Amino acid sequence: MNRTTPLRRLGLAVAVAALLAFTLFPVYWMVSSAFDPAADHRGAAVLPQGFTLDHFRHVLDTGEFGRYLRNSALVGLGTVLLSGLLALFAAVAVARFRFRLRTKVLVMILVVQMVPLEALVIPLFLQMRDLQLLNSLLGLTIVYLAFSLPFAIWTLRGFVAAVPEELEEAAYLDGCGWWRMFRSVLLPLVAPGLVATSVFAFIVAWNEFVFAFVFLQDDAKYTAAVGLHRFFGQYSTDWGAVMAGSTLITLPVLVFFVLVQRRLAAGLAAGAIK
Amino acid sequence: MATEPRATEAGAAARARARAARVRALRPWLLLAPALGVLAVLLFWPLARVVLLSFQDYGLRQINTGESDYTGLDNYRDILGDSFLWTTVLPNTVLFALSCVLLTVVLGTLVALLLRRLGPGWRLVCSCAIMTAWAMPAVTGTYVWIWIFDPLNGVVSGGLDAVGAIEPRETNWFTDRWSFYAIATLNVVHHGFPFVAITVYAALLTIPRELPEAALMDGANAWQRFWRITVPTIRPVFLVVTILSTIWDFKVFAQIYLMPGGAGANQDVLNLGVWSYIQSFSRNEYGMGSAIAVLLTLLLLAITVGYVKALSREGDQL
Repeated sequence: MNRTTPLRRLGLAVAVAALLAFTLFPVYWMVSSAFDPAADHRGAAVLPQGFTLDHFRHVLDTGEFGRYLRNSALVGLGTVLLSGLLALFAAVAVARFRFRLRTKVLVMILVVQMVPLEALVIPLFLQMRDLQLLNSLLGLTIVYLAFSLPFAIWTLRGFVAAVPEELEEAAYLDGCGWWRMFRSVLLPLVAPGLVATSVFAFIVAWNEFVFAFVFLQDDAKYTAAVGLHRFFGQYSTDWGAVMAGSTLITLPVLVFFVLVQRRLAAGLAAGAIK
Repeated sequence: MATEPRATEAGAAARARARAARVRALRPWLLLAPALGVLAVLLFWPLARVVLLSFQDYGLRQINTGESDYTGLDNYRDILGDSFLWTTVLPNTVLFALSCVLLTVVLGTLVALLLRRLGPGWRLVCSCAIMTAWAMPAVTGTYVWIWIFDPLNGVVSGGLDAVGAIEPRETNWFTDRWSFYAIATLNVVHHGFPFVAITVYAALLTIPRELPEAALMDGANAWQRFWRITVPTIRPVFLVVTILSTIWDFKVFAQIYLMPGGAGANQDVLNLGVWSYIQSFSRNEYGMGSAIAVLLTLLLLAITVGYVKALSREGDQL
């Protein structure tokens, strides 16, 4: 099937080159502008015209951007912890127990993923205002739960189902209570699934713009995505600074993706095919 | 007299068993309760509320007094009767989303097929590059594309200027509706195709090697093998990635809002999401904004119901 004629090799090489250029150029452009002293006023060239850390210094010195990043990290970790916990409980319920309405609950969780959350900005804004959670990172975390829960339940359900029930029964026979069994048998075995859903939840929270933009009114509460927008407005021509900020926001996500690449692909395939 | 204690004992045992059964029956619901509670409060109630709001004249005064002012279908009549919806917002939303979905799925599939052709080394290089494109958050990605196409100092302007293709500093792609959306499409496809590529690639790996090889023996060419074997085998995967891309691309907000003129300064480039936002949060007409949001939801619902029908024909079991 893989007869390699020179023409075929050339075709593959062109395709690979085009793919690399399309995927990497924007990233290259962002990073190179962030370090290029000429990025703000002299105009851009494909090769950087020097090397400077001034853009990063400029972004971080005011202290604002560091605070934005910290807020994003807080919201991200909160979302990861809450959605991991709630999704694991729910996944155990639908994967391990046979009860009436089980299929209905599953279908509902699947359908819920189709709701365009952006269409709920207005009612959620009013709801959070009534609960006094509007200008708070906690309020934002709670909203991001709705973003990540259905996917997390659906993915973890597969992982829980893959744990052989005999293991649990053996634990019961050894006199384990349900909670002990949960902690010492189930939890370690679904840990890889939890890692995958945690990364997903963190990235959702880290990248989200619309709700953060609408909910957060106080500069001290801004997440990085909203803060960058603010920054963009303030220094509308200082592209070096905006690109330095963009690099700082992108870096953690990039590291995560590289770390969980294999697992992510496997999880996606399992979710899509099952 | 003598039998009574024994009867109570048996009764107690039965009661204990019944209690244990109740606890067992209750346990899944206890485990589900927090998640379902969150979804009810954050999805179902807001969904109901956005529909209720769309029938109201809900503005600043109603926010402050807390009273409601039902006006029936007035909001919908205003929106649907406005030629702005039909000539600008709807075409922007629908054409943009459809092109993005089409390009995302086609490019993603092509890249998945390419990945399968490559040796392990180049495959790793390419999948890392794909991951990098994927990892770029929508907000930073949008700023990078704006910077690339910046009319003053952007690399594209600079390059085209250098070869004499454009008048320097006089071509602003962000003011024209078509070029504005061309840049937005580039942005959304760049961010969206990696998901399709990785998912389809993972699905391709599940196709037994014997199938295409047998077809090859029978003299099927690459095109026939793709349409007759690959596509039918992983059809559910194509449906899922198409549904998800559709949902994502119809409600694109940040990528439009953050582009120059996208926040409402240039009416020509509004889409449903940004229009809803501007009506609500810039003009404080929350009822009107809600009606637009409901329209967007209905549009998505109609499309996804179509997809799901196709998917259920696959006979997928939960």
